[in-house]
Amino acid sequence: MMRKSTLSVVLAASLAATALAGCGGGSKSSSGSGQTTSDGAKVVTIWSPTDEPAIEEWWVEKINAFNEAHKGEIELKREAIVRADSYAYEDKINAAVTSNDLPDILYVDGPNISNYAADGIIVPIDDYFTEEDLNDFVDSIKVQGTYDGKLYALGATESSVALFYNKDMTEAAGITMPDKLEDALTWSEFEEIAAKLTTGDVVGTNIIMDKGEGLPYVLEQFWISNGTDFVSADGSTADGYVNSEKGIEAANFLNGLIQKGYANVSPIQQEFHNGKCATMLGGSWEVATLETQFPDVNWGVTYFPVADNGGIPTSPTGDWAACITRNADVEAAGTVIAYLMNEENVTTYAQAIAKLPTRASSYDTLTEYDEYPRSVFKEQSLNTGHPRPRTPGYTVLSPGFSEAMMNIFTGADVKESLDQLAEDTDSNYQKNYAK
Amino acid sequence: MKKAVVKKYHEKRAALLFVLPAVILLFAFLILPAFSTIRYAFTDYNILRPDDITFCGIQNFVDLFQDKDFKKSLLNTIYFTIIVVPFQCALALALALLISPRKKGVSIFRAAYFSPNVTSMVVVAILWSVLYNPNPSTGLLNAFLTKLGFPACGFLTDPKTAMNSIIFMSAWQAAGYQMMIFLAGLQGIPGDQYEAASIDGANKFQQFRYITIPGLKNVIKYVVMITMIQAMKLFTQPYVMTQGGPQNSTRTLVYYIYEQGFQSRNFGYACSVATVFFIIVITMSLMLKRVIKAD
Repeated sequence: MMRKSTLSVVLAASLAATALAGCGGGSKSSSGSGQTTSDGAKVVTIWSPTDEPAIEEWWVEKINAFNEAHKGEIELKREAIVRADSYAYEDKINAAVTSNDLPDILYVDGPNISNYAADGIIVPIDDYFTEEDLNDFVDSIKVQGTYDGKLYALGATESSVALFYNKDMTEAAGITMPDKLEDALTWSEFEEIAAKLTTGDVVGTNIIMDKGEGLPYVLEQFWISNGTDFVSADGSTADGYVNSEKGIEAANFLNGLIQKGYANVSPIQQEFHNGKCATMLGGSWEVATLETQFPDVNWGVTYFPVADNGGIPTSPTGDWAACITRNADVEAAGTVIAYLMNEENVTTYAQAIAKLPTRASSYDTLTEYDEYPRSVFKEQSLNTGHPRPRTPGYTVLSPGFSEAMMNIFTGADVKESLDQLAEDTDSNYQKNYAK
Repeated sequence: MKKAVVKKYHEKRAALLFVLPAVILLFAFLILPAFSTIRYAFTDYNILRPDDITFCGIQNFVDLFQDKDFKKSLLNTIYFTIIVVPFQCALALALALLISPRKKGVSIFRAAYFSPNVTSMVVVAILWSVLYNPNPSTGLLNAFLTKLGFPACGFLTDPKTAMNSIIFMSAWQAAGYQMMIFLAGLQGIPGDQYEAASIDGANKFQQFRYITIPGLKNVIKYVVMITMIQAMKLFTQPYVMTQGGPQNSTRTLVYYIYEQGFQSRNFGYACSVATVFFIIVITMSLMLKRVIKAD
């Protein structure tokens, strides 16, 4: 009796301990390379996150067109993977690497490219584009996709973030927002405006408190504008950058906005859209959301704030990009990636998703970017954009930064939190990537 | 005599055939993975480099015992378990006592108390993060508090209250299940015992103490044991509601395993945490059994 029940305890406990192990094993089968259809066409699989209906339709149309043109040679398929917030999509990729089930073409968020390239998950794609072709792409997307001097990824869209404001509220408070890049708000002007606009029901601003990738994506600009960054230029060191004196200044400024009640630490979804906050640091994609779903909101947009006393004008960039994995039939996958990034497809994709295109020539078609409010984002994208840190250690840096900022906003010591972040980031880099 | 032996042999074979599917499944999805977890615990397995796994001895365990995040996660898990197990079991028993009399309309309450349990924990967690929102114009609980004249509480955004908020919400969600088990137990206690006791002049509390509790003894053992093992595995709530924060106050062992294994990609290290966790859960379960036995 005793033995039987002891055994049941052991079994129940091992249930707990196997939380992880489901992903073990090393089967050599692969959904990527080598598959062919009955008529002898090579199957190329794409993984990308599920998206809005307009994009899903774009995919269906483009895949059909491609398959029609390459009948009997290449059969293109796409698996839409739910991304949600947080890191669910990346978890899926990790699991696929372990079980050797990577697709041929993988869409990944910009800052993860270095990491996957360093671990040999993805292969260079320089060969599938002519130099002339590459010159058409904006620099920021090429910089984002380059690791160790080789191009590993290209995307069809870029992103940018600027300061949206509720015109009714700013006008009522007698505030005029700058309309030239060189007059962008300074931090103290930004804080002053946020203070003025904070009332009982409405907070002054919203600084992307999504507790995920949004935090490093937007808030890194405060470090850059103040003359520092998260990590050194070669991506190897965080100590002395993210926790430098200027970095601490940036964190203190952001913390001030929260502690003084000008911004919420856990805002509701679409706080700005629903009139619960007066300004927000919002992405270029919000323009379309506001236009189509919130036509009653009277809003404007101005440039990303810069640090006081001659800070560097800056704005976030970066977006999802397509890579070829090591499991792929490179020739077939190369044809597909060249197709996905051709002029027409970049233009129509950017149009469908309402994001900035990555090809300069796309702006010839997308003339709406010559007019306010979209012109603000185009101007930033072409002039002040800074991609996120290109370090293979980004996968530790990003959640670490979100966590450190949340700790700071809930009362932890600023310097201690950032020191800890620098230490964790550096020790991970040393352990996994230092040569 | 001979016939009986043959029959016994056939019975044995049938019995083995019947347990075989369960044994195969247990072996494939429980025992084998558990062994690979232990094996990987002694390697430097990075999840993106499955072809480059090298044995590194007990290095992971040496690191582990100097890792303050691990210590904090362990303490958080123990704290959660110690508070939530008695709280949740008492709540479940109270609910079961409330609805055990066979009166009209009681089944509505039974369904109501059980309903949070059939809802996915993710849904419940998202719902409660809205209820717990620190801003009174969004969070219902803070709206009540401020209406009654109390200051708004940070709940999930305050390291002092975050874990307790999760405990309360978890107990609310899960108590319905234990309530059902208690209910079945209560219905197994013969009614004439209560009758006899009330004739002898025992009041309600004495009846509860001397009839209900002893009558439920085995049920209580079972409920405490499963609640404890479930509590040790706390993951969904911090994953959805707090991401282990603020200031590490809700990072649990299983969440830490996930973070190390998948986000930081140190799969080998995560396995060593899982192994230590495995040992802790077994030890605690056996200790608990002793305590209950001794009673």
